[in-house]
Amino acid sequence: MNWRIIGTLVAKDFSLFFRKRLFLVLTVIGFIMYVIIYFIMPSSVNENLELGLYAPVAIPPFVQIEEEGLEIAFVESEEALKEAVINGKYVAGVALPEDIADKLASKQKPNIRLYFTPDVPEEMKETVSVIIKELAYMQTGQPLSIEVSEEILGPDVTGAPIPARDRLRPLLAIMILMVETMGLASLISEEAEQRTIHALLVTPMTIKDLFAAKSITGIGLAFGQAILFMALVRGLGEQPLIILITFLLGAMLVTGIAFLISSVSKDFMSVLAWSIPAFILMFVPTFSVIFPGAVTNWIKVIPSYYVVDTVHRAANFGSGWGDIWLNLVILVGFCLAITWIGIMLLRRKFQ
Amino acid sequence: MSLKRVGILLGKEFLYGSKGYIFIFAIVAPLVISLVVSLIFGTLFTEKPKLGVVDDGSSQMVLRIQELDTLITRDYADITEIKRAVESGAVDIGIVFPTDFDSSIETGEKTEITAYIWGESLAKNRTIIAVTITNMVREIAGQESPVNIETITLGDEVSIPWSDRLLPFIVIIAVFLGGLMLPATSVINEKNKKTLDALIVTPTSITDVFTAKGMVGIILSLFMGILILVINQAFGSQPLLLVMVLVLGGVMAVELGLILGTLMKDFASLFTIWKSAGIILFAPVFIYIFPQIPQWIGNIFPTYYIVDPIVELSQRGGGWPDIAINVFVLIGLDLILLWLVTFTLRRARLFAT
Repeated sequence: MNWRIIGTLVAKDFSLFFRKRLFLVLTVIGFIMYVIIYFIMPSSVNENLELGLYAPVAIPPFVQIEEEGLEIAFVESEEALKEAVINGKYVAGVALPEDIADKLASKQKPNIRLYFTPDVPEEMKETVSVIIKELAYMQTGQPLSIEVSEEILGPDVTGAPIPARDRLRPLLAIMILMVETMGLASLISEEAEQRTIHALLVTPMTIKDLFAAKSITGIGLAFGQAILFMALVRGLGEQPLIILITFLLGAMLVTGIAFLISSVSKDFMSVLAWSIPAFILMFVPTFSVIFPGAVTNWIKVIPSYYVVDTVHRAANFGSGWGDIWLNLVILVGFCLAITWIGIMLLRRKFQ
Repeated sequence: MSLKRVGILLGKEFLYGSKGYIFIFAIVAPLVISLVVSLIFGTLFTEKPKLGVVDDGSSQMVLRIQELDTLITRDYADITEIKRAVESGAVDIGIVFPTDFDSSIETGEKTEITAYIWGESLAKNRTIIAVTITNMVREIAGQESPVNIETITLGDEVSIPWSDRLLPFIVIIAVFLGGLMLPATSVINEKNKKTLDALIVTPTSITDVFTAKGMVGIILSLFMGILILVINQAFGSQPLLLVMVLVLGGVMAVELGLILGTLMKDFASLFTIWKSAGIILFAPVFIYIFPQIPQWIGNIFPTYYIVDPIVELSQRGGGWPDIAINVFVLIGLDLILLWLVTFTLRRARLFAT
């Protein structure tokens, strides 16, 4: 292979890519949009149910409760409680009556007022009502005839739940990778249609040089942006080497897909038409991270699953080589197979 | 008009039109806008706690849990299946109820249940499920609640979440991008390439051509309208009425698209009209987004009669009596526009011959 020729071809491809206004806009504006979307999403998860409590008398279960996921704040007056609820400080305000202790002791039913804003859904009102009833049961000392044995499955993230935007990182990274698929496929298919590739092949450049140059262009565009995105959204804090390697393989994968698309496309519109189904297919595995449990094991036949799963586990849980090596092996297999098929089909098209 | 020829033209429109930029844009843009709105307002990730159950007997407890609105309940056949569901995050907690669970509770006998907890589930979801189960056990055991609960809603103004306020905007985008832009660009394209001239020297009439183009627009706008409502879980309890409103909205969009396609010379003029006069289409949506604006102003704009029935059916739980007047106005507007289309068709005949 002649590296000088390859370098020239890569420089030419980069120049052509950025001369196309649509890809320039999709690349630059798209990239900025992904970063903006990430940063405007909530950076933390409120995993607690926040209730405001006005308690003129101290009722132990209400004032001493330390239940996981329940946060009770005390308010000085019922008026202040109502104001705090209206201002959205609490999901609900709980106002205990002054005679609650006496009534509970004499087996009478005290009236507890729950305050909500109009936009609180009915199920939340029902939930808070059930919680308050349970606290009252505890105060009256009514025994519960069940014992619960608990078993936590998977890493327990209580206290440090994963924010939605961090779950979204693999999806945004896949979008960045896939947009570059379209750009590279368009470049190749146009060159094939305009027969500039045939012109190039009569120069000292070999077909190997050509594919090496196209691969470097595709991988460079996709990998560079994906890594820049992950760096900007602080996704390289945990297991950076694993994430770098995964994105490098992801970039190889989308380059192979670009070869496949360009082998069946004639112009920009057909590249667009073939890219959309490929986009949709490659996005599907991101749902396994965004909506856990929503997809079945069939998802594992889609190659991008191994990029998404590895990045999610490494960036969000700090999973190491021992946990993700199999993903990377399968991903390498997919990359080699897809790139090889893409190159074979393109060679046939060029001949 | 020949139905056979319309069918052939319709097939052609789908085959070649689906590769067009506008066709793809009409599908992708509403989906992207919907996704971004869901992400920004957090509605994509807000869900009720999910409970999985394995019931060895036929526990009343499980039946009661399934009737609750506070939880999403899923049944599993055995422990292996429920553990797999919990590990994947399909449910927050999986509980295995023993065979004699109900009778043990009723007799006050101590019973042990196993709860598998998904490590990534939120603490509040764990609490809600635990408290709900506990409360239900007490009910089955015949324990009476020691307190009365009075629920009070503060403030008079009905608060509409932003994600709900923006829904009509996304629906109108979905209906009008496909319904208006697709037929309009298709007509302009055929005019510019002179293929319309070629077509109507065959037995195909201009009515056949416009009907086929209009049907593509209606099908695409209806498909996108339904898709957006399904994605946003806003299909309401009257799906047939909602589909009817979307069809009538799609017809309005298509009629406007055909008129614009006939009158405009090129894409640049069409996009100029879309950008400048688009406010007329979207005005009722903005009035809905900002309830402080007097709502009667919305009645002036034709798309109000699409937006209002959709909001009524999908968000306010309304039925036919609530939307009937607006639907009749919408049908009237569609008929007026149909007359305008036939008027402009004469013009189309002029340039085509």
